[in-house]
Amino acid sequence: MLANSAELFKFTRLTLIWLTIIFGSVWGACFVVGVLIPTLLLHLGENEIFALLAQICQYLTPVIAILVFIPINAMFMVLVERRGLALFTVRMGPNRVGPDGLLQTAADAVKLLFKEDIIPTGADAWLFTLAPIIFFAPSIFGSIPLLAAITGNNDLFAITNLPTGIFFIIAASSVPVVGIVMGGWASNNKYSLVGGLRSAAQAISYEIPLVLSLVTICYLNQSLNVVEIASRQTGGFLNWNIFGGGALNGLDKYFNALINGSSNANDILQAYYPSNQWILTVIAIAGLVVSTIIAFFMYITAACAEVNRIPFDLPEAESELVSGYNTEYSGIKFAIFFLAEFTNLFIVSSIATIMFLGAGNNPIPQFLIDYLFKNVTFIPQTINAITQALSPLINQIHLINPITFWSVVWMIVKTYSLVFFAVLVRGTLPRFKIDQLMDFGWKRLIPLSLLVFFIVIFAKGVINTNV
Amino acid sequence: MSTNLDTTNLKTDEMIINMGPQHPATHGVLRLILKLDGEIVRHVEPVIGHLHRAQEWQGQNRTLFQYQALIDRVDYLSGMFTSLAFAHACEQIDGCQIPPRAQYLRALVCEMNRISSHLLWLGTFLIDLGALFGFPFYPFREREKLLDLFEEIAGQRMMFNYIRIGGVQRDPKQSWFEKVRKFTAEFPDRINEYEAIVTQNPIVLKRTKGVGILDKSVAMDYGVTGPSIRGSGINYDLRKTRPYGIYPELNFEIPLGQNQGDTWDRYMCRILEMRQSNNLINQCLDKMPEGEILGKKQIAGLRIKAGEGFAAIESPRGVLGCYVISNGSDKAYRIRWRNPSFCNLAVLPSLLIGRPISDIMAIFGSIDVILPDVDR
Repeated sequence: MLANSAELFKFTRLTLIWLTIIFGSVWGACFVVGVLIPTLLLHLGENEIFALLAQICQYLTPVIAILVFIPINAMFMVLVERRGLALFTVRMGPNRVGPDGLLQTAADAVKLLFKEDIIPTGADAWLFTLAPIIFFAPSIFGSIPLLAAITGNNDLFAITNLPTGIFFIIAASSVPVVGIVMGGWASNNKYSLVGGLRSAAQAISYEIPLVLSLVTICYLNQSLNVVEIASRQTGGFLNWNIFGGGALNGLDKYFNALINGSSNANDILQAYYPSNQWILTVIAIAGLVVSTIIAFFMYITAACAEVNRIPFDLPEAESELVSGYNTEYSGIKFAIFFLAEFTNLFIVSSIATIMFLGAGNNPIPQFLIDYLFKNVTFIPQTINAITQALSPLINQIHLINPITFWSVVWMIVKTYSLVFFAVLVRGTLPRFKIDQLMDFGWKRLIPLSLLVFFIVIFAKGVINTNV
Repeated sequence: MSTNLDTTNLKTDEMIINMGPQHPATHGVLRLILKLDGEIVRHVEPVIGHLHRAQEWQGQNRTLFQYQALIDRVDYLSGMFTSLAFAHACEQIDGCQIPPRAQYLRALVCEMNRISSHLLWLGTFLIDLGALFGFPFYPFREREKLLDLFEEIAGQRMMFNYIRIGGVQRDPKQSWFEKVRKFTAEFPDRINEYEAIVTQNPIVLKRTKGVGILDKSVAMDYGVTGPSIRGSGINYDLRKTRPYGIYPELNFEIPLGQNQGDTWDRYMCRILEMRQSNNLINQCLDKMPEGEILGKKQIAGLRIKAGEGFAAIESPRGVLGCYVISNGSDKAYRIRWRNPSFCNLAVLPSLLIGRPISDIMAIFGSIDVILPDVDR
């Protein structure tokens, strides 16, 4: 039994309440802007201007969603981090503001907004002000292509479905480092300067393994489109990209046939994994699965470095550089740095979810669900009953779209699990040294990511020629 | 554009950084003037004195009885040891008898204090290594228990004023001894817990192995003592080499560094010392005799005979010496402290030169300097 199970319970309750707040408000905002206002406008009359306004409203939905989501989500993540760390370190954590410390970070945000905005003497005022903006802006526009994948390609978010989505995200994610260097330089503080320079070195080294591991997945899926990559991973965890990106598809189909008592189960297996060259096929599949699992962990490591989390938080390095690049920042500018940092953590976690962990798809294999529904009939009946009861909401008001709903739910579960994992890592590991960081990046991660990429290319080639 | 860059006129400057006195990792108010070449330290100059409280001067202007309450502040993490050194020096002058129970109680609380001091060091050392929020709080959990035990016998958690000239202040109840036994029974498991997270952690190993190698001869030249010199493999522990109190009657080994005297050795030395102290506490509890606890009456006008005395004891940070000259009045004529942190800090520049910034805190943390102990 956990010693602090009461704290764990409180933590879980707090997480659920905040998640409800976040996604309730985002959902509400999207509904108002994307459905309610256009509908009302169209009801007002058959006017071209009204139609145009309605269309603009619909186009604005993704922007509204992101603008509502980012601040609330950052508040939630800061709270999760503080309470989570308290949980790992036998402490209580913030528990005074609001019920159970629920509003602590909201209070902090208000405090930061009202603090005096200081520009230190000798600082370059223009660059000093510009730095947080440059740091924060990419996390807004960089997260836009993700929306289509997160919402299961909902019509309202179709505009965000870029054919080169992942390319755009990677391009956007390399901009923030400019903001850090700029802030470090403009602060007129030597600690900030060292922090900024460290950040530049780190970002350049770790972007390569990060991109290479994503390119591996793009190659496997023959696509740069996040929606397409997400949709290729439907039907259970065997189809996820982390397990070979479709290498185990045949296994999935085979089990499906086996459980449903279909007679052609062996034919399916034969079709996917021909037995005339079974040694080569097994090696290729094993190589694919192992490489993609390695690619996933490389992505997680490189992403940690990319968003400056422990053990790679050298640009901040509290015990060495006071606070690194943001030492001189206070008030709203510091708040923007803070906001962007946590938003970036969320973005890299959701990229990991979309690219490796099956996006918004159900992790339970489809054949198990079918089997369960066939034998325990009250579950599908209950689901049908609920769908029936909610059908006015779904079909007439368009408040809930079941596909989007489940997609978002699974995205939340997977992404916040990764965020929680990052908090756990922060609660466990010390920090690297800068030379060790460079060694690890250039001498370990980059060769390994290249190796994984080549293995994937060859294994995929072998499988393709066999089938 | 020419491809041959003329690098002869390229000027690079060394950067001077003031690390401290207000810096999250300088353990209080140490100021290091660093000259950096990129990330590499070229020159270090520690500036001390920001926490000077004239502890020696105060000793000459207060009565012995008053000063007894003040000396816990000389090194606030090991107050029992500063009290003990002062008491030893005064007893040497006075020649008063210390009852055996008081002797055992002194050793008992000192070893407990050694553990609590090392626990705090462990937490801050890990913070210095960059494990800011996670692990460092676990040692504080055990330290909290020890402080509660101290509070029960001395009435204070850190400024104990428990060890007095001629004995100890209060006789603990039987239930207190049982609580200590309970603590010692579970403490080895806790150390195992810390070791499970830290000792085999690859990042910790990378940050500490071969970093800040303290050469034997350098250590002796600078007068480094305590776990810092034992990490370099020199067997110098006053409890063995110049035994005081009841230490000759106890059975224990001095842990030494196994490698070359790097940061890792100093870490390991302290971990082993905590285990050994735990063992010593158990021995003290087993052998605890009955009887008196105070050999000299504690009154406001406490006097000792005229004369001079020097006592040195092994504090968690090294050799703590106290030199007292008394002219027979209720005030000491002269008091002088030999503080381990002061001497250990002196070796810092020779360890830091040529190392990157990140190593500063790892090395500085590993020699365990307490700034009030440096400045008095």
